[in-house]
Amino acid sequence: MSRAEQAIPKRSGWRILIAGTGGQGVITAARLLTEFSVLHGHQVLSSQLHGMAQRGGAVQSSVLIDCGISPAIGRGDADIVLGLEPVETARALPFISTKTIVVMNTIPVIPCVLAQNYVLGEGPTEYPSVEKLSTIIREVTTKLVTVDATALAKQAGSLKAINVVMLGCLFGSGLLPYTAEDFMDSVLKNVPPQLAKINRKAFLSGVEFGKTLGLIEESKV
Amino acid sequence: MSTKPIHEVLQVSPTSAACLLGNLAIVRGALEAGVQFFSCYPGTPASEVGDTFARIAKDAGVFFEYSINEKIAVEIAFAASLTGARAMCSMKHLGLSYAGDPISTMPYLGIKGGLVIVAAGDPSAITSPNEQDQRHFSRFLYYPVFDPATPDDALKMTRYAFELSEETRLPVIMRPTTRVCHVSGMVEPGPLPQNRSEIEFSKDPSRHVALPTNARRMRKELIGRYALAESMLAESDFYSRTGDGKFGIIASGVAYAYVTQVIRDLGVLDRVSLLQIGAYPIPERIIAEFLGSVESILVAEELTPFVEESVTLSAFRNQRFLPIYGKNSGHFPLEYEYNPDLVTDVIREYLHLDKAPRAPVPVLDLPSRPPVLCPGCPHRTSFYLIRKVFGKKTVYVNDIGCYTLGFGAPLHSCDVILSMGASISMAAGIARVTGQRTVAYIGDSTFFHSGLPALVNAVQNDDDVTVCILNNYVTAMTGFQPSPSAREILPEADTGERRFVPAGVPIEQVVSGLGVEDVYSIDPFAVESTRQQLKQAKNGSGVNVVICNSPCRVFERRLGTDQKQSPYLVDQELCDGCSLCVRLLGCPGIIVESDKYYIDQDLCDGCGLCAYVCNKDAISQVGENVQS
Repeated sequence: MSRAEQAIPKRSGWRILIAGTGGQGVITAARLLTEFSVLHGHQVLSSQLHGMAQRGGAVQSSVLIDCGISPAIGRGDADIVLGLEPVETARALPFISTKTIVVMNTIPVIPCVLAQNYVLGEGPTEYPSVEKLSTIIREVTTKLVTVDATALAKQAGSLKAINVVMLGCLFGSGLLPYTAEDFMDSVLKNVPPQLAKINRKAFLSGVEFGKTLGLIEESKV
Repeated sequence: MSTKPIHEVLQVSPTSAACLLGNLAIVRGALEAGVQFFSCYPGTPASEVGDTFARIAKDAGVFFEYSINEKIAVEIAFAASLTGARAMCSMKHLGLSYAGDPISTMPYLGIKGGLVIVAAGDPSAITSPNEQDQRHFSRFLYYPVFDPATPDDALKMTRYAFELSEETRLPVIMRPTTRVCHVSGMVEPGPLPQNRSEIEFSKDPSRHVALPTNARRMRKELIGRYALAESMLAESDFYSRTGDGKFGIIASGVAYAYVTQVIRDLGVLDRVSLLQIGAYPIPERIIAEFLGSVESILVAEELTPFVEESVTLSAFRNQRFLPIYGKNSGHFPLEYEYNPDLVTDVIREYLHLDKAPRAPVPVLDLPSRPPVLCPGCPHRTSFYLIRKVFGKKTVYVNDIGCYTLGFGAPLHSCDVILSMGASISMAAGIARVTGQRTVAYIGDSTFFHSGLPALVNAVQNDDDVTVCILNNYVTAMTGFQPSPSAREILPEADTGERRFVPAGVPIEQVVSGLGVEDVYSIDPFAVESTRQQLKQAKNGSGVNVVICNSPCRVFERRLGTDQKQSPYLVDQELCDGCSLCVRLLGCPGIIVESDKYYIDQDLCDGCGLCAYVCNKDAISQVGENVQS
């Protein structure tokens, strides 16, 4: 039995939800994961769950690997949530249950509505603390791990690589029956050459971090 | 040597596993059917159909155009079809209604080369001002309509649709919804054809001329051709049946995918008979057979109870009286799209199973993230300056595009919005009746789409309207498709400096040609001269037009033609926290933390509008602008 099969017993397939804000590369991350899975012989359905990918809106994308024909994740039915941004991770809570593993980037993208609320004196004016958001998520699942993916992306050379760092975490974790090397040799090779170096570095830093998270052990809890 | 990669819709082959976005599966299906002509007007969720053809048209040998509007897209594709070419056009659901005049007569005249109209639906109105059910066009105007559940359905149905269209001489509608268009799924591609249809326009006025005498004759033929479509569909693969249990379920569109998954996950395959409805008109024989084999029926379909009512009629005609559940029985809601949880709950109830245990969703007070105008967007500057001059009381009628985001605080530039091009006609209507000058906002692409006739109408009636055409040279909201006002950039041979020349239709000349005498062509970032001209426009009489020319910043960056503008910074010594910058502009680059105002140096595009509105001189530019 592969590590991945041990990781998620009894249920067929993996239901992965990627959440973030417009411009963070949620859709691209889902596309890369989809391409890679198809290349390795899996049946994949992936879907953009919300319409406003542009202009700074909230974005959710799902990747369902070997699950069946339905393109949507039901309530509490995600196996893995990759949260590229803290509030957007918490917004995915309806898809999270005790079995869900959540990997959350701790660095916020501040919604501009907060500044508006502040001057107009209505609605929330402060970004919720990451500790508070973590507590809310932990009340549903204990399998929450956090990562400063923004810093890792910056170190790799571009803030735009947060999505690739997070994919690295997923590949490094060993939750999926995939190897990081395969990913770099196939899908990551196809990105435009000027971005290849940054993406490679970002992915590898994510992979290293993912290895330390102990997600396989977490998933058995 | 060019190493341009081959696009995936051309690269996938019958021998390897392929995963395609639903919209791309439609393109692939059309290519496999030998499509020769394609036209479209972009609209979510259908935009990728046209954008993909835009990329591959040359390689695939397909005539391609982004049309000015959906009516033209349909007419030009119909014309291509009359010459024998297989033709496709695509749009969102609203576009099909915009093309209502031509599409209502096209089935009468009939086509020659297969013609498929992609009209994507948007249940739950995720990116639309309404949700509507285009399946009614089948009965309403005699169109065969396809209703895919998955990208693979979309590919196979599109491929077959051309055949059906040619056999029956009927144009055909392909109606995917958002959850098919924007889902990537496994497909089984077929081969690309070697041969294409021959092109020849054969004159035949008795068929091609929509005169009443011809129409009355063709009306009778049409009924026969529609009956032929039904009998062809009865032999097709688009009504698959699973299981032989006594609990019948009939499902269409993405609801079929949910139902399939749910009955598998619940382990009730042995109790259920499931029938997919993949196309309309629904063959009577297929429904009659199904009615005879089950003891009750649950219909799962989004939007209107279209299948449910067809099945109810068939049951009556066949004197087969059994319980039929669906929307009319209250099992499913009449509005919005379905989801796996809803379908699970209804099927559990139908099969007399216990309710699914489900933890309540915690209520979180998370800050919302509504879409906003980008930092540096010229629309923000235009909205701010125009409202500053025309005042709070003026009625601002807005239109469909990025600039719809002028809605609400803080820009307050959108008092009314209805449909493509309606800003000008509605602003004219309100001005005429109230006697007050109104302002219409419309983007360049929407102006050409349907603003032109409305502007002529306002000129003819001498309405007191100031039409502000927000010209950013591109159709930005739907993914940066070219606008008729697009520009080309020519580097000067000697200096290397960039020079912009119109690539299409210059708006200034069009507007003058339509009879508008007061035309102001402005750059909104030239703030002082803009204000002077706006004051003149405000005090003018009759129709005047203010053309706000400034390129979309995001598109410029993509092209690499933007002038990189250094970001602005708040001097904390000078800032007294008056909040004007946030209160007036709503720029995502300005943030407030612990009662202090900051400008996000990564987000700031350097437009300088915040520095302009700051009356404490607390905001200034950090460095020099550089040309990339």
